[in-house]
Amino acid sequence: MQLAGSKELVSGVIKNDLCIGCGACVSLCPYFKSHNGKTVMLFQCSRDKGRCFAYCPRVEVDLDGISQYIYGRPYGTEAMGNYITIRSSRAGAAAGLKTFQTAGTVSSLMMFALGKGVIDSAVVTARDGVKGKPVVVTDASKIPGYAATGYSAAPVASGFNEAMNAGYKKIGIVGTPCQVNAVAQIRTNPMETENFTDPSGMVIGLFCTWALDTGAFLKILRDKTDIASIKRYDIPPPPAGVMKVQSGSGTVDIPLTEIRGAIPGSCSYCHDMTAEFADISVGVFEGREKLNILITRTRRGEELVQAAISAGFLEAETLGDKDISELAAASMNKKKRALARLALENKINSAEGISVLRMNGEILKQLETM
Amino acid sequence: MSVLTDKNAGKTALLMGNEALVRGALEAGVRVAAGYPGTPSSDIIENLAKVADERNIYVEWSVNEKVSLEVAAAGSFAGLRSLCVMKQNGVNVASDFLLHLALSGTRAGMVLIPCDDPGSISSVNEGESRHFARLVEVPLLEPGNFQEAREMVRWAFELSEQFRTLVMVRSVTRLSHASGNVTLGELPESDTKAYFRFDGNLLDAQTGPVITAPVPMRHANQQKKLKQIAEVFETSKFNTYTGPEKPELLIITSSACSLYSVEAVSLLKLEDRVGILKLGTTWPLPEKLVKSHITKAGAVLFVEEVLPFLEENVKVLALDSIEETGIKKYYGKINGTIPSVNEMNPDHVIKALTSIIGVEYSGMPADYEQKANIAMFTKAPARELTFCPGCPHRASFWSIHNSLAMDNRDGFVCGDIGCYTMAILGAGFNSIKTAHAMGSGTGIASGFGKLGMFGMEQPVVSVCGDSTFFHAGMPPLVNAIHNGSDMLMIILDNRGTAMTGFQPHPGLEVDAMGNRADATDIAEVCRALGATVVTSDPFDIAGTQEKLMDTIENGKGARVMILRQICALSPEKKGKKQYEVTVDTSLCRGTDCGCDRLCTRVFRCPGLVWNKAGGHAQIDEIICAGCGVCTDICPAGAIKRSEVTK
Repeated sequence: MQLAGSKELVSGVIKNDLCIGCGACVSLCPYFKSHNGKTVMLFQCSRDKGRCFAYCPRVEVDLDGISQYIYGRPYGTEAMGNYITIRSSRAGAAAGLKTFQTAGTVSSLMMFALGKGVIDSAVVTARDGVKGKPVVVTDASKIPGYAATGYSAAPVASGFNEAMNAGYKKIGIVGTPCQVNAVAQIRTNPMETENFTDPSGMVIGLFCTWALDTGAFLKILRDKTDIASIKRYDIPPPPAGVMKVQSGSGTVDIPLTEIRGAIPGSCSYCHDMTAEFADISVGVFEGREKLNILITRTRRGEELVQAAISAGFLEAETLGDKDISELAAASMNKKKRALARLALENKINSAEGISVLRMNGEILKQLETM
Repeated sequence: MSVLTDKNAGKTALLMGNEALVRGALEAGVRVAAGYPGTPSSDIIENLAKVADERNIYVEWSVNEKVSLEVAAAGSFAGLRSLCVMKQNGVNVASDFLLHLALSGTRAGMVLIPCDDPGSISSVNEGESRHFARLVEVPLLEPGNFQEAREMVRWAFELSEQFRTLVMVRSVTRLSHASGNVTLGELPESDTKAYFRFDGNLLDAQTGPVITAPVPMRHANQQKKLKQIAEVFETSKFNTYTGPEKPELLIITSSACSLYSVEAVSLLKLEDRVGILKLGTTWPLPEKLVKSHITKAGAVLFVEEVLPFLEENVKVLALDSIEETGIKKYYGKINGTIPSVNEMNPDHVIKALTSIIGVEYSGMPADYEQKANIAMFTKAPARELTFCPGCPHRASFWSIHNSLAMDNRDGFVCGDIGCYTMAILGAGFNSIKTAHAMGSGTGIASGFGKLGMFGMEQPVVSVCGDSTFFHAGMPPLVNAIHNGSDMLMIILDNRGTAMTGFQPHPGLEVDAMGNRADATDIAEVCRALGATVVTSDPFDIAGTQEKLMDTIENGKGARVMILRQICALSPEKKGKKQYEVTVDTSLCRGTDCGCDRLCTRVFRCPGLVWNKAGGHAQIDEIICAGCGVCTDICPAGAIKRSEVTK
């Protein structure tokens, strides 16, 4: 991996429309800030190498190196990455959650992990209207307050940095694939800091096909509703084709075609739908509103899920083959589309300059022809 | 006792040019003096204010130059000798009234002293006030040394009174701010009662109303006066000639340039070949005097600052009288012999003389300039233009810069005139992107703020000092409010006209003479005008930034934010530290990832020093003003502050 600094991050990622606003470079130094989903650099930094560049999930991501660290093997050709089991799940009665938009698997798992001391802190997303910002929580009972769908990108990885700065050693985090990839890079100690220990306790990834640029999203909403009083917004299952936005001034339907205009260009370079470098990945079960799909990927992830089931925090059953293959197909679709785009623009395994991703060329070829 | 009020006539004293001008006004018995601060003119009004009680003078800092000229004119109309003082571009501000005052005429002696700043040493222009004398048709005098500065001002009052016209006495930085010997004259005693008479004939401005109508009649009258004044100028002692009877080359010069000319001729030992006609009365020209010298000369060289004022006027005269003066070669700015920008100096004159006369001169080795430049840029420690330690502007621009950067829509600041103009540079994080005249930042912002209809989405911010707000900041704000411009005017209220030396302004409870005065509250004014107003202390970085972000992102229309914190050099604050500031070197991250010397590399308060050997920041205790802002800048919490116990 070629390590560089903030100059290359700004020119190679931010100015290149590759930044997804995950927050990996934020809360490390006084220079990078996140605002309305955008990452901005306030002043030039003169260092040649920095954590900002090393943690960024959109530049010089060494898929094999990360895979080796997390799973003990190089990155492969699986559609959904490495996994142990795939289940359908929902929160168990012991979690004591009230009605949720989704099945509550993530909240329940985080509450359970925090309560059991598996993690010493939880990085979750707080929503203020459509704006999201990470919050570090240590009280399990506070977790449900943060369980709301957020379509707009939030700098969640900066919350992981903040938890590290605060000295937490077993940090739990819930994030989208880009945020999970940022955390995965942090875990590999790319700056080769002495006496480094992996500060993560549990990484829960959320399935993601796209997110919305907060600023662009706000701009769309500003003309249609009172953005200061937005209570919730939701995309009902097809064939609705709209986003329902509920605010103090009533509910408005905004066509998805219009909403899609706010998807950042950076999402089109994302190969990862299921957060492949998480301990546990969770997503909506299409057509089964009250259920999640739950993927365990690591030993510690599987152990947490089993313990949560035993403790009544989770109800789960093995997912059927048909559902698994549908999920794999969607996942592989996204992966192939992104890899093709990266290859077309010479942004993967680039011989010269900086590359978004690096991986074994043979595996890449296999993926391209799958 | 001040030498300015020394009653020992005939005594010689070392006076600064501006002091000599003041002494001249005192000797003329000035009663009313008004001005607006501006380098290099400010110390004239300040010195008059100091002796105001003693000499029974009314002295004021007016809200702007135009009003100061109006205030002084009232003194003249009421029979009191009056003086008005401003810097060169101030005359532009006053010029509308100036044009009309030239037409209406004055009563008791009235003198305007504009101090020009060739080379723009303390300005953002090198405008010239001399052209206004020709433009509005009033007489112009230019002292060539310190003694003349005193004598000329005194005489200018008499001339003004004799012809009932305003007289301009133009100084320049090198005269105003240098010192020389001046022999003092008598100080008069006077107890003239002020009374404005208006019962006379409508056409007689001396007894009737003071108006400009009927314009053609008054205009003709003023031109007639100028012809008579030109006659007086023919024999003025302020026009001198030194040199041979029939010089090969005649230098026509004025003001400080006459000194450069004398020096150049002397250095080249050309006294017997080159003559110097130094004019003290430069408009209208003493035509006969000038013509007679041209006639005797082989060629003519003009040495003046900045534009070819004498050159053009003399050339017009010479063409009109070519049968008398003969065909001569003229050298000056128009044919490029002398530069028409920047300050003049003896080197420019020497260069002109050597090329015209053909003599050799090598003052400095040929590579001197190159070597000097190399030494300056490589050997001398870099001393950037920056804000003082503890300056509120640094804190203000920190928040402004960061808020606009966070907003991420390429917002920018329209600058104005004050110390804060330096925010063009690194001192203010390069925030300012336009800088012109006083008040223009807000006017430009008012215009930018209407360009949304053409797709402009950039946030528009203007900055304006407290004194500038009163001077010229209100009309553009009213304009922005009325026309619904989307802009934010930030008033950097540091409680005084700080850059020119803490002259009071209408927002303060003190006047030029130190008396208690009614203060106008800037926030209340802005609210009354119809703007939403938010106030913040720029030293509260987090609070200021939050308010800024809110208005930049959500604000519509014209908004005002007042950032109020007293200037670190103000008399009430200077030398008093609010905090004792120290660096915990064990916490300082220095050049490491996570800081990279934010405080000493970016924030750059001169009170912060980078200890290269130790690899940490430290406080320069001598110059640290104890504002404590760097404590909030430090990302590692390494800069500590503790309240100084009083």
